[in-house]
Amino acid sequence: MTSSPIFVIVPVYNEAPVIEQTLKDLLQYDYNIIMVDDGSTDEIDKVVKNHSLTLLKHAVNLGQGASLQTGMEFAKKSNAEIIVHFDGDGQHKAADIRKLIEPIIKDECDIVFGSRFLKKKSKQNIPFVRKIILQLARYMNWIYTGILLSDAHNGLRALNKKAMNEIIISENKMAHASEILYLTKKNNLRFKEIPVTITYTDYSKKKGQGIMNSINILFHLIAKKIDS
Amino acid sequence: MKLIQIILLVGLLATLISYFRWFRSAAADKLLIALILLSGIVFVIFPELTNKIAHRLGVGRGADLLFYLAIIGFGYALLLLYSKIRALEKKLTEITRKQALDEVKK
Repeated sequence: MTSSPIFVIVPVYNEAPVIEQTLKDLLQYDYNIIMVDDGSTDEIDKVVKNHSLTLLKHAVNLGQGASLQTGMEFAKKSNAEIIVHFDGDGQHKAADIRKLIEPIIKDECDIVFGSRFLKKKSKQNIPFVRKIILQLARYMNWIYTGILLSDAHNGLRALNKKAMNEIIISENKMAHASEILYLTKKNNLRFKEIPVTITYTDYSKKKGQGIMNSINILFHLIAKKIDS
Repeated sequence: MKLIQIILLVGLLATLISYFRWFRSAAADKLLIALILLSGIVFVIFPELTNKIAHRLGVGRGADLLFYLAIIGFGYALLLLYSKIRALEKKLTEITRKQALDEVKK
């Protein structure tokens, strides 16, 4: 661990082929890296062994939401001032973190969301089907949470102390993105979107959210409404 | 509106409300199951009874009435199971998280 009060949480699940790349990018900066291995069956230990980071391991696969929450609890105990969520599949850029945490350091926001849609259209380079899914998800989230973001399912976020104490993720799977939005609204957290770059590699496309899973998320959200 | 429609609607609503408000104790569940089984036994012994009740309620046959009631019961069981699974999942998450935090590698 470094003395940095900024903790970057990287949830991974069978991400060994690209994790080296993600780590190389992240470790250029002086952040505390908390990797949460969500019960991977590949040998992530060997890959990360030589890097300076904290590795938390789930004994069984719970989902990305659960991994983020585990990482956040560790970070909170370690007196984190700022927590950053960062996908492990290599689609985010570590350079974007600085932009993301700026509004928090200036105390303008409690939570900052990364958005791939705030960039100039020519620079977005987003596959067509993904664009449609994300548009649908945006409005689904809007109906559910009352917040209309430009990018519904971007894994890059930054939270200050207030936000990390108010946002406790209970949706273990992918519905956590909507849950975070819901809790942002419920707790009147100040939020903002910042343009970030998403790299679509063949690998991240394969791991990304398909249409069927979008329907899954919808069902989770309905069930949650019934449940609470 | 036939009487049966009102009854089924009330039954569905009661299932939902009781599920969320009062019925989550194990004792109440047992009582309900006992009630269903006992009435089942009575109806098996006196099959004409179902027809009579069905006619009163505006349903053609006793078997149809049972079918409608079974649908409500099925929905109730499904909700109950779902809430149990959610609760289990929550416990599993807590255990797994605790273990991960206890055995942290630096």
